[in-house]
Amino acid sequence: MTVEQLTNEFELARPQLKSYILRITASVEDAEDIVQDTFIKASLKLDNFLGDSSVKTWIFTIASNLAKDNLRAKKRWTENVTDICKAKAIANPNYFPEVMNIQATSPHGQFEVKEHITFCLTCISKSLPLEQQICILLKEVYDFKVSEITQILDTNEAMVKYYLHTSRAKMVNIFEGRCALINKEGACHQCSELNGIFNPKQDFEIERNKIEMARVVDKGDKEHLLNLRLQIMKEIDPFSSNGSDLQLHHLEHNRRIMENYSEKTEE
Amino acid sequence: MTTLASNGKALTIKKTFSRETAISIDIQADKSIIWALLTNSSDYPRWNSTIISIDGSITKGGKIQLKSALDPKRIFKLSVKEFEADSKLVWGDAMGKRVYTLKTIGNGLTNFSMNEKIGGPIFPLFAKMIPPFDNSFEQFASDLKKEAEAISRTK
Repeated sequence: MTVEQLTNEFELARPQLKSYILRITASVEDAEDIVQDTFIKASLKLDNFLGDSSVKTWIFTIASNLAKDNLRAKKRWTENVTDICKAKAIANPNYFPEVMNIQATSPHGQFEVKEHITFCLTCISKSLPLEQQICILLKEVYDFKVSEITQILDTNEAMVKYYLHTSRAKMVNIFEGRCALINKEGACHQCSELNGIFNPKQDFEIERNKIEMARVVDKGDKEHLLNLRLQIMKEIDPFSSNGSDLQLHHLEHNRRIMENYSEKTEE
Repeated sequence: MTTLASNGKALTIKKTFSRETAISIDIQADKSIIWALLTNSSDYPRWNSTIISIDGSITKGGKIQLKSALDPKRIFKLSVKEFEADSKLVWGDAMGKRVYTLKTIGNGLTNFSMNEKIGGPIFPLFAKMIPPFDNSFEQFASDLKKEAEAISRTK
C-alpha cells in the first residue's frame, strides 16, 4: 500500500474513526489527537500492513490501542453519571448561560431529543469495562464483524462474544432501570427536562413519538429497544449533527465532572 | 470420587471428616467463554443466581470475598489456589476448596465440572450447620450453561 492509498482510505474512515474515539474518550481534544496520531503511526508502519485485514480494520486497531493507552490510568464512569453531572450543572451558575449562548449563536446548537439519546448512550457506555464498550460500539454502531473485532482487540472470538453479550446485558439493564423514555418508572427524565429548557414551545409527547424506540416500548422487547437506541447513535455524527456543539459541550462538562468525581472517590 | 454423569445433577459423598459435592454438565460453548464467565468476579451476580457478590480479582494468587445465596450473612474470604487459563480454577480456604474444570469434548461442547470438598479434624463438630450444596450446585451449573450458550450464539 502506498502513502497515497493510505491517505485516501484514512480520509474515508476519518469521520467514523473520530466519532468512535470521541465516544470512547468523551474528549474532543483527545479524539482529534488520537485520530492524528493514528494517521502518523499508520504512515510509519505502512510496511507492517500485510493485507490480512481491511485498511479500515487496521486503522481502527491502531486507534483503539492509542485510545486504550490514553484511558489506561483513568477510572471508568459510574452508571448514574447523568445524575451526578446534572447536579453539578445545576449547581454551576455559569452552566446554563453557556449552553443557552451556544444554542443562540451556533449553527449546531439545536437541542434534539435523539441527539441527547446518543449523548446519554455515550456516557452510560463509559460505565462498562473498556473492552466491552469498544466491542459494543464497533459491532453495533460501526458495523464491524466479530472476526474483525478479534483483530482490533487482539483477542479471540469467544472473548469478543463474551464482551458483546455482557455489554448488551448491562446496557439493557441500566436503561430499563433508568430511562423514562422506555420505562415510566425510570428515574432519568433528562431529555424531556432539557427539551423543556431549550425548546419551551415544543410538546414533548410529540417529540417523543418521533422516536421509534419510544413509540414501540409496549411491544418492543428490551433487546430490540437497545438495538433501536444503538441505531439512533449510528445515524448521528457527533461532530456535525444539528446540535453537535451543544452535545459536545455537555459531553465535555460530564467528562470533567466524572474525572474529578473518580479522583475524589479514590481519596 | 466416582465418575460423574454429565447430567447437571449434583452428587454428594459424606464421610466422617469430610463432605464432597460434585457436578458435571456439558455446555455448547467454547471453553474461553466459560472461562471468562468463571473468572470475571464482578459479573457473577448478573448471570449466576447462587452468587450475591464476589469482590476481588479471580487471578492467580488473588484474594476474593464471596457472598453466597446459600448463606447470605457470611462473607467467605478465599484465595485463588490454581489458575490454569481455560482449563482449571481452584479457590478455597483452610476448610476446603472448590475446583472448576473445563474439558473440550468435541462438536463445540465443553464439559464443565465443579467439585467442593470441605473437611478436617473438627469437621464433625460443625457438619450439621453447613447446608447441603446439591441444589446450589445444580443451579450454578444450569445458570452457567444457559449464559455460556447464549453468549456462544452471539453473531
